Amino acid sequence: MAGSGHAPLREDVDVLLTVRDLEVEFPIGKGAVVHAVSAISFDVAEGETLGIVGESGCGKSTVAKSIIRLNDIKGGTVDYQGHDLATLEGEELRRLRPDLQMIFQDPISSLNPRRKIRQVISEGLAVWGDERGSWSQSRIEELMLSVGIDPKFGDRRAHQFSGGQCQRIGIARALALDPKVLICDEPVSALDVSVQAQVLNLLEDMKKRYGLTLLFISHDLSVVKNVSDRIIVMYLGKACEIGNANELYENPRHPYTRALLAAIPEPASTVDVSEGDISGELPSPINPPVGCRFNTRCSHATEVCFTDEPVMQRVGESDHYFACHHPVAVSINA
Amino acid sequence: MAETHVANTQLSVRDLTVRFPTTRGTVQAVNGVTFDLAKGASLGIVGESGSGKSVTAKTLMNLLPRTAEVSGDVIFEGEDVRQLAEQGREHFWGVKMTMVFQDPMTSLNPVKKCGEQIAETLRYHLKRDKKSALAEAEDLLEQVGIPEPGKRVDQYPHELSGGLRQRVVIAMALACEPSLLIADEPTTAVDVTVQKHLLDLLDTLRRDRGMSMILITHDLGVARGRCDEIAVMYAGRLVERAAPDTLFGDSRHPYTDALLRSIPRIDQPSHTRLEPIPGRPPELINPPEQCAYAPRCRFARPDCLESIPQISGVAGMHEFACFHPANTDRGREALADNLAQGRTAAGLDVTDLGGPS
Repeated sequence: MAGSGHAPLREDVDVLLTVRDLEVEFPIGKGAVVHAVSAISFDVAEGETLGIVGESGCGKSTVAKSIIRLNDIKGGTVDYQGHDLATLEGEELRRLRPDLQMIFQDPISSLNPRRKIRQVISEGLAVWGDERGSWSQSRIEELMLSVGIDPKFGDRRAHQFSGGQCQRIGIARALALDPKVLICDEPVSALDVSVQAQVLNLLEDMKKRYGLTLLFISHDLSVVKNVSDRIIVMYLGKACEIGNANELYENPRHPYTRALLAAIPEPASTVDVSEGDISGELPSPINPPVGCRFNTRCSHATEVCFTDEPVMQRVGESDHYFACHHPVAVSINA
Repeated sequence: MAETHVANTQLSVRDLTVRFPTTRGTVQAVNGVTFDLAKGASLGIVGESGSGKSVTAKTLMNLLPRTAEVSGDVIFEGEDVRQLAEQGREHFWGVKMTMVFQDPMTSLNPVKKCGEQIAETLRYHLKRDKKSALAEAEDLLEQVGIPEPGKRVDQYPHELSGGLRQRVVIAMALACEPSLLIADEPTTAVDVTVQKHLLDLLDTLRRDRGMSMILITHDLGVARGRCDEIAVMYAGRLVERAAPDTLFGDSRHPYTDALLRSIPRIDQPSHTRLEPIPGRPPELINPPEQCAYAPRCRFARPDCLESIPQISGVAGMHEFACFHPANTDRGREALADNLAQGRTAAGLDVTDLGGPS
C-alpha cells in the first residue's frame, strides 16, 4: 500500500488544495512513534468533493485534522492558494483559518452545551467582525434558515435538539465565516438512517449554494460514493487508490479497495464476495510492514511486496490511480 | 394481533408491551409486539434508535431494570419464561438463551483473562471443574476462529483487537450450547471487513448447531443477507415483517419503503439525489392514538390519525400495519389524493418529486 509518488496530483484542473508527501507521527514514549499518515499526496479541485474512505486506524481523520492544523505535521506540504498550511504560524495561519471549517462525527458533543445555539453559530462572526461577513441578527437567522432550523429556536441549547438538528447547527456554525473548504469527519455516522439522507442532501445543497469544496471522511462506502466526485482509499496511513468516484467503484484495481467493496453487507457487483475475506489483523502503525503495507493480509502478495513499496500509477488516461505491484485485472465491461 | 403458527416454534412472543415510568411521563417503549421464531431460524429485527428493538431483546433476556412494566407472554420451547420459578431461572438465561452485545469491551471484564471469563460461565452453569472448564474455553476460542487460542486464554481483553474481543464474547455466549442466541448490534462497533468475518461466523455456528438467532441491527443490509425473516420496528411497534426478498422488493409499510429509498446505494452513480424521510422519530411519552409514522408519511389519510393500524396479513409470509400500504392500489389512491391536495392528512407537504408509488 503505498501511495508514495505524485502521480495523482493534477495539473489540468483548478486545484484549491494540494497535499504533498504528508507525514504525521505521534510519539508514544520510549522513542516509539505511531506512523499515522505516511507520504500521502493528493489534491482537491475547487468545488470538488473528495471522499476519504478506510477502516478505523487508517489515518483518514488525521489527514483531515492535519490540513486545519489540529495536529502537528512532521513532513510534507499542504498548499492552499499559495500558502503552505504545514509550516504557517501565528497571525498568518490565523488569517487563513476561517477559510477551512470542519464538522464532526458527534453532533451533540461538538456544540457547547452551555451556549444558546444563536451564540454557537455567531461566535466566529463575533471574533472576525466585518472581515468575514457582518455580525447581524439577520445573518444568523439566514444561516439557521438555510440549514433548516427555525430561527425562533435560537435561544435553545444543544440538548434540546435531536442529533440530526445538532448536525445542522454544526453546519451553520461552519458556514458562518463563509469558508472555502468544509471538512466533514464522519458527519452522518452517528445519525439514524432516516435522518442521514436529510443531512447528506443538505451538504450537497450548501455546497452548491456557497460554492464549497468538501473533504468528506467516512467508513461507509455507499455514503462516500454518493457525495464524492473523487475518492481516496486509505490503509494504515497510506493511500492505495485514488480516482473518480464512479470509475473507482466500477473498476477497483487495488486488492484492498476490492476487499472493502466485497465485505460490505450488500457487496458491489464489480467484485467477488470472497475477495472480502481478508485474513489477519490490521498491523501495528508503530512498526508498519516494510514494502507494501497491505502485504500481511493480501492474497496477491509476492516477494516484491515485502521489499519494494509500490508507487502510484495511472490507469490509462483516466482519473484513476493505484499503488500495487499486482493490481487486479480490469473487468471485462470496463 | 396477527396469529402466526409456525411448525417447530421455538420462541413465541405474544403482545409484548414494555413501559418505563419517568418523571416526564410513561415511555411506551414496546407496544404489543408479537412474533414466532422457528427452531434453527434467524429473525432480523431492524429499526432506528428508540424503535424498541433493544428493549425487546432485553425483555426476552430478563435484563430490564426493575422499574420497567412488562406485560405479554414470552413462550420458549413451551414454557413461559416470565413465569419461570427461581430454580429454573438460574440456569436459563446464559444457558438456553444467550446474548451478544454491541460493545465487546464493556461486555468483558477488563481485569479477568479471556479464558477465565469463558470458564466462569461453564463452571457456574454446568458445574465443570476449573481445569476442564479452561480446556473447554480454549476449545471454544478455536471454534470461533481465534488464532492461537492457547495464547489468548491467558490474555486480557485490552490485549485483543475489537474483532477478536467480539469473538470472545460470542464464545462465551456459546459456551453452554444455547438454542437461541440474541445478537444486539454485534458488528456495529467494528470495521466492515471484520463485520463480514463475524457475520459469517455467526452464520456457520447457527447452521452447525441448529441454533436459532435473533439479529438486532439498524443496518437493513446486514439483516438482508443474514436472516430468514426481517421484522421492522418503528416507535415500539412491529410495522412490517417478511422474508428479506419480499421486504426489499415489495415492501408495504411506507416507513420500510421510505427507508429503503433514503439509503445511498453502492450501485447508484455518485451525486444521486437521496429521498430523505422528512421529520424525525416520534416521542414515546404519551403518543397520540394514531399511526406513529403518520406525521412523516406521504400516504397519510384522515383514518391514519384516528386509530393505530394493527399488524395483519398472511401469517408467516408478509405482515404489515398500515391502512394505505405502499405498492398497492389503496396506497396509490392515498398518495394521489395527497398529491392533489399538496399535503397529507397530517399536514406534511407532498410533491411528486421522486416519491414512492
